[in-house]
Amino acid sequence: MQLDNSSTNIAASLALATCTLLGSTPALANESVDNEWRFDTAILYYGETDRVSLVEGVISATKDFGDDHIFNGKLTYDGLTGASATGAVPQDTVQTFSRPSGHGGYAVAAGELPLDDTFRDSRVQLNAQWTQPLGDNLRGSAGVHASKEYDYLSLGMNGSLAQDFDQKNTTLSLGLSYQFDQIDPVGGTPERLGVMPIPTYIGDDYDDDHNDDYDDDHDDDHDNAYPDRNGTQNKDTVDVLLGLTQIINRRTIMQLNYGVSVSDGYLNDPYKLVSVVNDLGQTQQTLFESRPDQRTKHNVYWQTKYAMDSGVFDISYRYATDDWDITSHTLESRLRFNITDNSYLQPHIRIYQQTAAEFYQPFILDDSPLPTFASADYRLGEMDAYTVGLKYGQQLDNGDAWAVRMEYYQQNPKNAGFDEPGQLADLDLYPSVKAMMVQFNYQF
Amino acid sequence: MKKINKLLCIGLLASQAIGCASLGVQPWERDLLAKEEMALNAEGVDLGLDDHIYFSKEATSGGRAFAGGGCGCN
Amino acid sequence: MSSTLTREINIEQRQDHLCGYFQAMASPCEVLIDIAESSDISPRHSLWDEAYKLVSAIAEEAWRIEDKYSRYRDDNIIYEINHARGRRVEIDSETFELLNLANTCYELSQGRFDITSGILGKVWQFDGSDNLPSQSVIDACLACIGWHHVTLNEKYIHLLPGFALDLGGIGKEYAVDKCIQIARQQLPDFSVLINFGGDISVTQPRKTLPYWQVGIEHPNPEEQTQMLVKIAQGGLATSGDAKRYLLKDGVRYGHVLSPHTGYPVMDAPRSVTVAGENCTQAGLLATLALLQGAGAESFLKDQKITHWCLR
Repeated sequence: MQLDNSSTNIAASLALATCTLLGSTPALANESVDNEWRFDTAILYYGETDRVSLVEGVISATKDFGDDHIFNGKLTYDGLTGASATGAVPQDTVQTFSRPSGHGGYAVAAGELPLDDTFRDSRVQLNAQWTQPLGDNLRGSAGVHASKEYDYLSLGMNGSLAQDFDQKNTTLSLGLSYQFDQIDPVGGTPERLGVMPIPTYIGDDYDDDHNDDYDDDHDDDHDNAYPDRNGTQNKDTVDVLLGLTQIINRRTIMQLNYGVSVSDGYLNDPYKLVSVVNDLGQTQQTLFESRPDQRTKHNVYWQTKYAMDSGVFDISYRYATDDWDITSHTLESRLRFNITDNSYLQPHIRIYQQTAAEFYQPFILDDSPLPTFASADYRLGEMDAYTVGLKYGQQLDNGDAWAVRMEYYQQNPKNAGFDEPGQLADLDLYPSVKAMMVQFNYQF
Repeated sequence: MKKINKLLCIGLLASQAIGCASLGVQPWERDLLAKEEMALNAEGVDLGLDDHIYFSKEATSGGRAFAGGGCGCN
Repeated sequence: MSSTLTREINIEQRQDHLCGYFQAMASPCEVLIDIAESSDISPRHSLWDEAYKLVSAIAEEAWRIEDKYSRYRDDNIIYEINHARGRRVEIDSETFELLNLANTCYELSQGRFDITSGILGKVWQFDGSDNLPSQSVIDACLACIGWHHVTLNEKYIHLLPGFALDLGGIGKEYAVDKCIQIARQQLPDFSVLINFGGDISVTQPRKTLPYWQVGIEHPNPEEQTQMLVKIAQGGLATSGDAKRYLLKDGVRYGHVLSPHTGYPVMDAPRSVTVAGENCTQAGLLATLALLQGAGAESFLKDQKITHWCLR
């Protein structure tokens, strides 16, 4: 839209322009506004080499009911297949482990990391969020969510307030959320550091595919293999989030958040194991893990977005620490290049580092006293991870937009300072996890 | 001496306050910030999917918004 | 407001012409059809039917344009554009041509004519009092004004969030000109005058008389009677409203607002009337003259068009 400073005869220019306007094609029928809902959809495929694969689909719908009274509803579905590491150590001989249901077991080849492939998990989640102004410079938001998979239920609610200052250059916000989680483990809740029984047979059984279990026989399956075990376990989580958003200048906006999260209840992963080994590194028995029943986390998050002439530079850093002694650093950046008026390319990089939990140990030595808490889940151990990705997006003439992105994610667990006795020294106790993500988005 | 200290403190605080007051823009300078891609919650669906993956593969979660998981994966 | 007005058409015979009238765009609208032969009290059936058909078609077109571009409806393209929250909105060719005309005016007026400045009208109440809006309120409006931030092409328009278009300065004149085309098509042998609340156009000169004489609201509010305008052909439009102003500390604030400062243009005439080729061109010239403030008269003189200014 350029301004023309030449002194052309304006009357003549307008006469011409209006004749063009009036000579234009006859008017079409009025287009009525039939769709004030905005939809954001995406489908993601995540696959690890030889391990877990995930397909996740999201539909998010937003509508402004006027005056910034906004409702957002979201439906998420994900389906998980594949095998995850149990935490048990590899051995130079074949090992057998019981399935979580207690019916039957599986074998692990010599030298291989034990992976349990029992799980074919489906999950559905619903979120609803309402936001509206509460005053000239005050906004409030409240929401609920519910999520269900075959052995897990999660219900939560959240509320927050945001106050603007200084012509909306500064915003202070406070948020609170409460979440109730219930796990109904297949096979019941194992005893903390209880011994995993040796399976009586290896191979598939009608119970191994737990979906069949639950379709046929909901109620009495749990008690079949482990009649003495408890059933459902609960956990409560309360989060507080304090946020400060500040416009720095015409091109720059920053956000600084401080969050506290307290979880109480059953925090174990009932399917994870810890191997007890002798001084030759040979597994003597396999135990179920045990984690504390309380966890308090703190994190500080800082983000900057900078508007370039044709794009956006986004960089963020998060520092987190908790009373399990886990400390982590996350550095993430996205650089968006607007290659044309309606398309863009966006590379992405993420670098992550965490220290091990205080009770993390890759195995237990049989000549040490049994600790109160122990977990060999590598996700609580020392680890580096990085992600590199690229996204391409395009806006269509009718207002819709689509995008595709591809990411590569690699986790490198590390030895947090444990000596590896006997044969364990020659085995890879900390294999890297490599994953590929492909995602397709469509907005309309 | 005490009085000088007090004045110094007030002076420092005041200069900090003034320093903060110089941040920000006039309403008509918000053109770039108003673009969709400059919103802090832009690409919300992507961020939500990423958060879910990192929550289930790492020990830390949250930061940008609530740390809740809602799934049994951690 | 428009919901209480009925959409009725009335036709009656006057001394030397037929007059059809209805309400549209918050104005009284009349269609005058010249009857070539001398008056005949009894309605001539064929001409009467033709006249009724024409006035109906004109009224339908006026209401169509009103419904499509009115800011007071929540089911039209203007509503969709003004509530798109930063998304692109697909537009048809008529909308593109209208907005393209607004763009031309923006360029010709060095940014003074700006259809994104309508939101200023919400904060300025021109009721003769001394209540000027505060600077911070004006600043908040200015953040959402600026045609140079708009992306327009034949397929879509893209506004930043918070921006809104107001076609109030073009809509009525455009309707007059579209209806004049209908009149030329349906009654090519007759002189027809269309008058939508003071925005006038005539298809061709009358056969037996040299001009139409039409009364419009006098620009000077102190005059009680209407102003009589003689027009043979072409368009005539008046911009400005001498009744709407604010008076504070002896300074008179007229109601034409500048999109650059958010304040009224100082020293603008109270109203400008322009005769042009068509009603839209005449109306835009009148508005552009008002936006020149003190330079209105010299601007109109340079354009070499017939005009009247009231100060």
